[in-house]
Amino acid sequence: MPRATTARPKRPTPAQLAPLASRQTASAPLLPQPLLERLLAVAMEKGGEFAEVYVERALTTAVVLEESRIKSAQSGVVQGVGVRVISGAKVGYAYSDDLDEPALLRAARTAAMIAQGGGSEQSFKVSRTPSPSYYKVAMPLAEVDVARKAELVLRADKAARAFDRRVKQVNGTYADNTKRIAVANTLGYYTEDTQDLCRLSVQVVAEGKNKERRTGFFGGGGRVSFSHFDSFTPEQVGQEAARQAIATLGAAECKAGPQTVVLAPGWSGILLHEAVGHGLEADFIRKGTSLFTGKVGEKVASDLVTVIDDGTVANSRGSINVDDEGMPGERKVLIEKGVLKGYMYDTLNAKLMGQRSTGSGRRESFKSMPLPRMTNTYLAPGDHSPEEIIKEVKSGLYCAHFGGGQVDITNGNFVFEVSEAYEIEDGRLGRPVKNAILIGVGPEALKNVSRVGCDPMPDPGLGTCGKDGQSVPVGVGLPTLRIDNMTVGGTKVS
Amino acid sequence: MNNYEQLAKKIVQRAKKKGAKQAEAFLEVGRQSSCRVRDGEIEDLTEATSKGVGLRVITKDNRLGFAFTSDFEPSSLDVFVDRALQLAQTAAPNKLNGLPTAKELGKAGETGELYDAAVANLAGDWKIKSALEMEKAGKAVDPRITTFASVGAGDYVSEVYMASSEGLSGGYAGTYVYLYASPVASENGQLQTSQWVDYKRFLGDLETPEMVGQEAAKRAVRMLGARSVKSQQVPVILDPLMAASFVDNLSSAADGNAIYKNSSIFVGKLGKRLAPESVTVVDDGLLKRGLGTSPFDGEGVATRRTPILEKGVLRSYLYDSFTARKAKAKTTGNASRGYRSLPHIGTNNLYLEAGTRSPEEIIREVKSGFYVTAMLGSGANPVTGEYSRGANGLWIENGELAYPVQEVTVAGNLLQMLQDLDAIGSDLQFRGTVGAPTIRFKQLTVSGD
Repeated sequence: MPRATTARPKRPTPAQLAPLASRQTASAPLLPQPLLERLLAVAMEKGGEFAEVYVERALTTAVVLEESRIKSAQSGVVQGVGVRVISGAKVGYAYSDDLDEPALLRAARTAAMIAQGGGSEQSFKVSRTPSPSYYKVAMPLAEVDVARKAELVLRADKAARAFDRRVKQVNGTYADNTKRIAVANTLGYYTEDTQDLCRLSVQVVAEGKNKERRTGFFGGGGRVSFSHFDSFTPEQVGQEAARQAIATLGAAECKAGPQTVVLAPGWSGILLHEAVGHGLEADFIRKGTSLFTGKVGEKVASDLVTVIDDGTVANSRGSINVDDEGMPGERKVLIEKGVLKGYMYDTLNAKLMGQRSTGSGRRESFKSMPLPRMTNTYLAPGDHSPEEIIKEVKSGLYCAHFGGGQVDITNGNFVFEVSEAYEIEDGRLGRPVKNAILIGVGPEALKNVSRVGCDPMPDPGLGTCGKDGQSVPVGVGLPTLRIDNMTVGGTKVS
Repeated sequence: MNNYEQLAKKIVQRAKKKGAKQAEAFLEVGRQSSCRVRDGEIEDLTEATSKGVGLRVITKDNRLGFAFTSDFEPSSLDVFVDRALQLAQTAAPNKLNGLPTAKELGKAGETGELYDAAVANLAGDWKIKSALEMEKAGKAVDPRITTFASVGAGDYVSEVYMASSEGLSGGYAGTYVYLYASPVASENGQLQTSQWVDYKRFLGDLETPEMVGQEAAKRAVRMLGARSVKSQQVPVILDPLMAASFVDNLSSAADGNAIYKNSSIFVGKLGKRLAPESVTVVDDGLLKRGLGTSPFDGEGVATRRTPILEKGVLRSYLYDSFTARKAKAKTTGNASRGYRSLPHIGTNNLYLEAGTRSPEEIIREVKSGFYVTAMLGSGANPVTGEYSRGANGLWIENGELAYPVQEVTVAGNLLQMLQDLDAIGSDLQFRGTVGAPTIRFKQLTVSGD
């Protein structure tokens, strides 16, 4: 197998690589303001109540490593405009990836058709609204020399392979995105934001005795400057992915049925995201399809549980200066000491429900309508040390690392895949077990939270959340947590 | 030759002129429209057009570069071609990099029609009417249907054009039309939902809105009162929709990329018996009227019919041209892609062949077991074969569907599950590009109380 040293590519000089986004274009508006205003006027021609124009230009770069060499380097540009018109509870939406004025006017006219009224000739003026800044970067990620990005993946590969001889495969990816958005609407708002986002991730396959194979996965990033990887090093990423794969070699079958589970801090926060987060999004509440509908003020979790969704965390993957409707990102307490405080609103659902937007309107791209979504969702810390929490458990399961999760917001059933788990016996970690998955019903699981650690931890910047076919980056976080009587899906029936 | 086919050729020519040894352009143009309704009214309408092109280049020293753009301004396209070539300098040289040769591209097989003028020219209000009909039919099924999470209809017309320095030049157009309904049933404070969908190339093949709405409602209502069960090992039956997702899991174990990286439970098992004789799993890019049917794959290679498991024996992996070269095998025409990505291995129309037994008979033989109609989670890990998912459905007692079950998981190992496939239904159906009939496993672990 070729080693990294022989496969290292010749580095192009920065001058060879023409930057995709130069500083000059970065400050010019995405669309001229008079054109934005014209589009709004055309969108309102049929008598809509509200219109909005969303403009996006995203530059992406990715580097893929396989077999210790850079397999490919890639980049792309996607741009387009989405026009939304609201008339009562009805929404018209049209988009175009052609930024020619005639194509944009066509999109505005198409969206306008949702309203059936007569043609009122009205003009609209918007003015630039200043937005906060939670993720300034030293240099847009799109401008960072791609060879430096390749270097990260090569270093992660080397570290993963050096970790243990049983590491047989390392797949690495670095991907970033410099996205500029502009939102203007008929309320006169006009905001622009630049959102840089990156992620380095490594998957490892280890092979033990009798060809037993185990996998490990780790990575991270955020809305950060490229120098983030000076402290969150590719070596750490590679070693952690390798450690997970090696640690689970020889894992025993997991026992099926209810157990006391202890979740390690960090990425385990997706439990919160699935178990309660989605069920508190206003569209599901308005339609009465979430089991949290009408429960504000009620006890929905144990006293120990305080859940916060915060779009303003510095440099976090899920943070937003403004949402995709131009509303500023916010910090919202969703559940306080077990009591449901409120929901997450976009402007449409807020209007229909007589509430105000909580800056939760997000969309994957100009091709989609905004939906109420989470940003960074985490659990406030408690006062037990993680050691104490484990020591108190006579028999249970310690969940150290996690795959993905999914929820059915209507019946509340959620699952949460555990990629690295250990039996707990008499307060100590025992042997690793494989193929474990947790399943529960959101509010019931949260009522069974019996210990919350004093070790709050954000995830390293890995999460992508899917809803109605739209993916958006999110952050999650959790301190060490104990949940009693949690159903563990396993293969062994006692 | 239309403008887009010419544009793809021009991009390839420019890349060659700029020093690429080989170049390939993949261009997509789409037009879509969709509608959702709520309480007898339009909820939203969306209409759009989109386009984009991806360029793959191989340099003279065998490096791979890739760029994509949705910006077709001539000056932007020039920058994009240069960018693909510059990016290649970051990748490592690899002698196995290369586009499919004229021989590998092959001659396109007989796909039959892919384009339905009835879909392309659908009346503007067809979607609105259909969605309203679905909602109405669903509500009429049972008063406990209180609302819909979503109910809608849509269509999509797509054109694909490809050109390469190796002689590839071609394109095709296809249509897609779909209906979906997700009703909510409620009783005694419990809410239950279901997702039901039909998705076809031809309007005439699509189920009626009434059928989709009714089936969705029945599936939600019968889950009311669902509870967990004790952990146990029992026979498990997957309905056709859930069986299709199991078949999809199998295909990821047959992915040629996972094979050469030794990252699949199927490594070294070619020619071996993995399942009973009744099990045949096929990927067929030429299936008549199939949603995943096309004359060529994402790198221009003629699609074909590839049996993965034939009468229980592992017959083939799925390859694109790069992974085939790695494995010293031949591409199976399974390069899948959109314009924003390099080709990767995917399936065309993937299905488990129908058996001879009726689904009722398959259920009737089970004394105590689990009939699964919805699942949560991603399913199998093709590297380890571990399979573990959240499941909803109906408990079987003495051959009858007895009561609804939720908050449980089903778990097993893919290889063992294949061996344990002891009944296959005659009810093969496609609601997307993957199809399956009802299937039964002799025994899986159900985890619950």
